[in-house]
Parts: sequence; structure tokens; C-alpha cells
Amino acid sequence: MSEMWINMGPQHPMTHGLWNLRVHIDGEMVLDVDPEMGYLHRGIEKISEDRHYNEVVTLMDRCCYVAGLAWEHLYILSAEQALAIRPPERAEWIRMMSEEFQRLGSHIMWYAAFVQDIGLMSPFLYGMRDRDLILDLFQSYTGARMTYEYMRVGGVRNDLPNGFTDRARKVCDWLIDRFVEYDRLCLGSDIFHKRCDGLGTMSEKDCVAYGVTGPMLRSAGSRRDLRKDRPYSAYDRVEFDVATADGADVTARYLVRMEEMRQSVRIIRQALDWLDRHPGPVMAARVPRWLGAPYAPIGNEGYLLKRNYPKGLGLSAIEEPHGEAQAYTVNDGGEHPYRVKFRSPVFANISAAKKYLVGYRVADIPPIMGSVDVCVGECDR
Amino acid sequence: MAITLLSVAITISQAILGAIGSVFPPPIRGAVTNGNTIDGLAALIFAAILLLASMLNTIVLIWWERKLLGRFMDRRGAMHVGYAGLLQNFADGLKLFRKDTVKPREADTLGFWSGPTAYMVTSLIIFAILPISTGWNSGSLPLSLLLALAVFSFAPLFIFVSAWSSNNKYSLIGGMRSAAQMIAYEVPILLAVVAVVLVSGSFDLQTIVLEQTNYWYWVPLFLALVVFVAGMLAEMERIPFDLPEAEAELVEGWNTEYGGMMFAFFMLTDYLRALLGSFLIVLLFLGGWTMPSWVPAAATSFPLAGIFWFMLKVYIVFTIFVWIRASLPRVRTDQLLRVGWNRMIPLALLSVVLAALLVTVKCLPVLGCIPTLGG
Amino acid sequence: MEAEFSAQVSARLGDRVAGIESFPGTLGRVRFRADAALDVFRSMRDDLAFDHLSMVGGIDWVDHREAFYVLWSDARRAYVILSADLPAQNPHIESATSIWPSANWHERETWELVDIHFDHHPDLRHLLMPDGYAFHPLLRSFKLHEPEELEVKTRNV
Repeated sequence: MSEMWINMGPQHPMTHGLWNLRVHIDGEMVLDVDPEMGYLHRGIEKISEDRHYNEVVTLMDRCCYVAGLAWEHLYILSAEQALAIRPPERAEWIRMMSEEFQRLGSHIMWYAAFVQDIGLMSPFLYGMRDRDLILDLFQSYTGARMTYEYMRVGGVRNDLPNGFTDRARKVCDWLIDRFVEYDRLCLGSDIFHKRCDGLGTMSEKDCVAYGVTGPMLRSAGSRRDLRKDRPYSAYDRVEFDVATADGADVTARYLVRMEEMRQSVRIIRQALDWLDRHPGPVMAARVPRWLGAPYAPIGNEGYLLKRNYPKGLGLSAIEEPHGEAQAYTVNDGGEHPYRVKFRSPVFANISAAKKYLVGYRVADIPPIMGSVDVCVGECDR
Repeated sequence: MAITLLSVAITISQAILGAIGSVFPPPIRGAVTNGNTIDGLAALIFAAILLLASMLNTIVLIWWERKLLGRFMDRRGAMHVGYAGLLQNFADGLKLFRKDTVKPREADTLGFWSGPTAYMVTSLIIFAILPISTGWNSGSLPLSLLLALAVFSFAPLFIFVSAWSSNNKYSLIGGMRSAAQMIAYEVPILLAVVAVVLVSGSFDLQTIVLEQTNYWYWVPLFLALVVFVAGMLAEMERIPFDLPEAEAELVEGWNTEYGGMMFAFFMLTDYLRALLGSFLIVLLFLGGWTMPSWVPAAATSFPLAGIFWFMLKVYIVFTIFVWIRASLPRVRTDQLLRVGWNRMIPLALLSVVLAALLVTVKCLPVLGCIPTLGG
Repeated sequence: MEAEFSAQVSARLGDRVAGIESFPGTLGRVRFRADAALDVFRSMRDDLAFDHLSMVGGIDWVDHREAFYVLWSDARRAYVILSADLPAQNPHIESATSIWPSANWHERETWELVDIHFDHHPDLRHLLMPDGYAFHPLLRSFKLHEPEELEVKTRNV
């Protein structure tokens, strides 16, 4: 068989979303790859310029549909910095707990999709089953299972319902037991190791040069985790370890994510204990009134309408389930953000595809891309 | 003489032709009811019964796999159409039947249409060869095992034809993989069969089964069984060896371009072949329809007892396949081929040597000496 | 820490830096001259240990454009923001791809959305927008609504 280009995508089971990986192959060997993005580009950054600060939260849920609360958190942190508003302490703990639950949900979703990629059928549904419990929890305090619209500039929309912490603890206990099963299904199988060991390696140096972050970077031995290095919310007040591995391959990324899930449960347990002991407000007392207005007059001059509000810039960076996400918010004193720019970890991770795909086989592409954990919604924005 | 399927078919044929003939005057009646006509119609009825039985079995098999996979995955499987979803597959089949089958413009017409059809037909033919119980098939062909395996190995050709003619790169890669895989695993399968033939001394499946009345071959020929089962998994293209249609990378591989009834043909044939593989394993290693002597006579002498026990074994074997499917990931092409050529063939050769040794010594460590070994 | 950093930057880069503003949560916002971009990038990576380029973005301020870079240093465990003002007419700046390969896609995106041209970029193609797309959506001149559409939404509170 001669050399040829094949399109893996936009509709292809490997992509887990809507993007196109053009692969140049010679027989089964991958000679070159060229990712084509943009199929899911909705112009969220542009739409944000036409929204109130709180309305952008709606868009954040659509950014990454498996980690909506993490993206809300990311945006809210930068918007609060730009607007110079501080949330009450309880809101920060709730946000942190939400983000960790979201990390669990996202990693379980990743696990389900990843094992499906290498042909393991049953764990896919185990993952879906267990993720449902987390979605139930989200539903109980945000009212939604996927698009939460929960966080607000200056706090969160509402407090946790009665009995939430007990339910959440039960879910944590259940999940910790399930992780053992997950490991036995994957690490206990020789075929899994044959498929995943030594695949898609990317050294720490390459990761840093190509902007690859998150579990991929930590699987190469780096200890970089923004929750430790640059603590936000209440991460400096909980105990947890940074999950790392050495292999820099697919198996190492698997190990890092599994360990991260365990650490997330650890953080959540501490957060639940704190939340039990510290009732209080979840919304800042002094928030400009127009922030909460659904439709303030816009007028024909569009977004040029200015309010006399202090200008500011906000940069937030969080350790999102896929890696390091950043938001840069420019507040020019108007009631809409002048510019919001997001850095998606998946965007950077995919941009390095040449580094970790070339030289392997066509059959290796699904496990490798699976280990990257692609979420196209946040990549294209 | 026991009632065979063919004698049933002849009786039905006689009854039908007799009824038709009685309407007409004697000259025509004679032509209608003569032996050749009766035999011809009987052959058709025989084929129809076989077709119906194998199709029904396949559909039940798919239902069984769906339910079982559901349970493995902590869900219930098909539930709504019919009792416990028994009719779900008929509903699915009806849906596929109603769908338009689209041929890509650049695809080769002849190959595109004939590939799936031939794939299905060649798999169905084997059901006429395999004896299910003493009374099932027409009679003993002296080389029925060889014939069955020969027809069984047509499949890669037709898969490759349909893959190549559908003019799709994914299909082509899938077809290539499929051909490479099936050829690689044909050899160990045949070598494992050689071990069975050596011990039984016959190519006739009927004889092979009857030879196993005293003890089933899976004990003395355990190595050959392992090789045969692994090879059959590859031939049936089931997880962990389902690379040709690896969903995550090749989007169903060689049947990417097929939709509607043509896809149903492929799907059905995959399960037909799974059924055939289980049949062969039961026939060659698990004693066919015979049961050990400690089973009470009442359990083996009721009407159609042979078929009952045979199908029970077949479903148990298939259940193991489903179990494997639910718990193992998929291997990679090069790994699969390496295992095939480098591991399976030496193992198969070893099993042949062991079988030859067994025939010479006629004794087993635990089971004692068996004078009838070697036919 | 911030004062120390700004002293280091001034010492290394001198007049290539137009000013250093404080920015909470980072070491500061370094405004540099666009024509000295490559020197600034190289010095940032090699001398000041900012080995990780996280984000490249652009802002259209109508009268001028701004290109900004967010850098992370593993050694310092801190961010720094670089920012360069570009003219509104034909804005262009040297590509950072040769210093940080990760700039590749970020610059492609910034080019197609904010219309800032990156000189010597190896592969400046459309990324999110279809090939041949003639507009730059994140410019302020690219309106989401026509005025008549806006009137429907207008409501006095």
C-alpha cells in the first residue's frame, strides 16, 4: 500500500468531538499529522464582548461540556480580579469543591472514552454509571446536569441544599472503591500494557516547549500543578499530593489521572468537612447592581456604552481537568467585558500532536489521542 | 433407522407433491410424484429448514450476547420489544431492511453488491455440512471436516473484495488487515485440526464425534483446543482480535461504506460465523451431542436430546466468547500477527506432535489406556 | 519579588521595555517595544527563565492593537505578562515560534481573529475559521448585531 493521507474526522470515533486529524500514513505507519480545528468554533470570545459579566458564565458551560464548572470557575476568577470584587470565603470553598467534583466527572468520562478506544467495552459503562452520581450531586445544588450556570461574579448563585454533604460523602466512598475496579480492569490486563506502554511519549522538555500541560506534563515527571504552585480559591488550605509518573507514555497518563481522582476525593472530603462547620453567605455583600441585571439598556451605540466603573485587568489560571487553563479579562469600565481571552489546555495539547503521534501506527492513534483527553468544545471555543 | 432431517424433508415433500398430484389426471400425476421430483423438492425443503434454523439460532445468539453484555456492563440490555427484548433483533432487522442501501458513486458495482452476499452464502453453506446430532444432516460425508474448513476460509476473499470495491481508504485498510489476520490464523487452526484428525483417525465429523463417546478430546488435546479457540476468535473477528473493524480507529473497517440490508448481511454473518466457530469447537473437542456415561440415561434419551445437549454446549462456548469480549481490550495488528506466526504455529505443531505421541502410546497419565485411539 | 524582577528586566532589556506595571497575581505586566520583540522573547526565556509560553492573544483597542503574551517560569513559579502596542494600520510583530514552539497555534489564532500579522511564522494558516475566510471576527468593527436587531432587545430597566 502506498503512502496516503486519511482524514480521521470530523466524524470519527477517535476524535471524541468534532475535529479532523489528517494523517499521512504508509501502510500502518504514521508519517505526519495535521490537526484541523474549528468545527466547533462558536466565537465565545466574541459573544462575551456583548454580554454582561454574569451572562458570560452561560457560555463557559458550553466551553467544555464535561468540565463546565471548572470553566465557570476560571472565568469568574479573572472577572473578579478585573472588577476588584472579592467573594466570601464559603463561596470559594464551594467553588473548589465543585471544581474537584468536576475533575472527577471529567476524568471518569475520560476513562470511559479511553478504554473504549482500546476496545474495552464494559468499563465504558461503568464510567458512565459512576459519573451519573456526580451529575446527580450537581443537579441537587445547581439545578442542571450539564450546563450549570452556577457561579456568579462575587460568589455563587445559591448555597448547598440540606443534607448535601452527607450525600457527597457517600458518593466519594463509592467512587474510591470503584477506582480499584478500574485499575484492575486496565492495569491487570496484559493486553492493556501491550497496547499502551511506551506509546506517545513526550519528554518534559518537549512538553514545556510545546505548551503541553496538565496530566500529560505530569506524566513526564514534572510536578507542576497550579493548585500547588499558584494556589487559588482555598487550595492552599487543603492537603493533597500532586500526582506524577515517569513513563511519559499512555500508561503514565492513565496512572496520573487515576491518582488525581483519588486526590480529588481527598480534597472534596476536606472541603465537605469545612463546609459543614462554616455556614455563611455565599455572595459578596457589595456587588454593583448592574452586574445582576439580565438586560440593561444597550442602546444603539452597542457595547460602547460606558459606566463609571474602575477599569481593570484580570488574569486567572486554574488547573482544569485537561491542564492549565487561563482567562484574561479586560474591563474598560463598561458593563460588558471589553475582551475575554481564554487559553484552553486542550488547544495547546493538540497543537503538539506531531510530537507524540508521528512514528507510531494507525492503531496507536486512538489510545494516544485518548490519553490526551480531547475536549473540542474548549479547544475551539 | 432413526429419523433424520432429510427423511423428514422427504416425507413433507411426498405429502405436498401427493396432494398436488391428486388434483391432476394420471399422466401428470406420475410426473409430479416421481422420485426425482420428490428428491428435488425435499432438497429445497431441507435447505429451507436449515436456513430457518440457523438464522433463528443466530438471532437468538445475538439476543443472548446483547443480554449477557448488558449484564456484564451493569445494565439490562434489550428490554422492550417482546419478552425480555427477545424480538428486539427482529425489529432491528426490519429497520435495516427498510433502509436504503447507498452505493458510493466510485465504488465497483459488482464487487460492492456481491461481496457481502457471497460472504453470507458461503457461511450458510457450512450449516449443511456440520452434523448437529445423529439425525440432523443428510448423511456422513467422508471429508466433511475438510469441506467445512475449506468453505469457512473463503471469507477473507469476500471481505477483501467488498472492502476494495467500496473505494474507501478505511475499508481498504480494514480489508487488508482482515485478509492478513485470517490467513495468519488459518494455519494454526488447521494444525490444531490435524491433531484431532490424528487421534480420531477420520475426517468425518460424524465419526469424530462418535469417537468421543468415551472421553472428550479437550482433555488429551488441551493444547490443540487452546490454539483452536484462539484461532477461532481471530477468524470470527471478535474482541480481542476484532482489528479489521476496530471501531476506534477504522470506523467499522471493511464495512464502513455498507448500510441498510448489506450491513445487516455483514452483521448477521459475523454472528453466523461465531455460531459456526462454537459448533466446530463443540464438535471437535467437546464431544458433540454425546454426553458422558455418568449422565443419567433419561437425560440423554428424550426426543431431540442430541440437539438439546449440542446446542447447550454451543451456547456455553459462546458465552465464554462474550465474557472475553466484555473484559479484554483489543490487541494491535502487528502484535496479533506476531502472536499468530511466532507463537501459535509452534504451539500448534507441538500439539500435533503430542497427538501423534498419544496415538502411538495409546495411554494417558490420568485417564489410563484407550485402545481405540487412532481409529 | 516584583521589584526584584522589574530591576532584572530593566537591567537586561533597557530601553526595549517601555514600562513595567504591577499586575496582581503575576510578577508584572511588561510593556515592550514591538520592533525589539525577538530580543525580548529570547532574553525572557534564556536570561529570566520563562521557559513556558502559555498564551498569546490580541486586543483591538480601535486606535491601536495590543499583542499580549503570558509566560510562566517553573523556576520562579510565577506568571508574567508581556504586552506590545501595535499600530492599527498593518499591525505586525515578530513571531515567537522560534523561541517557544507552543506559540505556533496561538499566533495562528490571533492572526485570524484579531488580524495581527506574525512575521516569520512557519505556518500562518487559518485555524478556527474556514480557509479563505476574509474577516477578522474579534475586531471591534466586526459587529455581532445590526442596529435594527438591537432595538428589539432594548428595554428600559
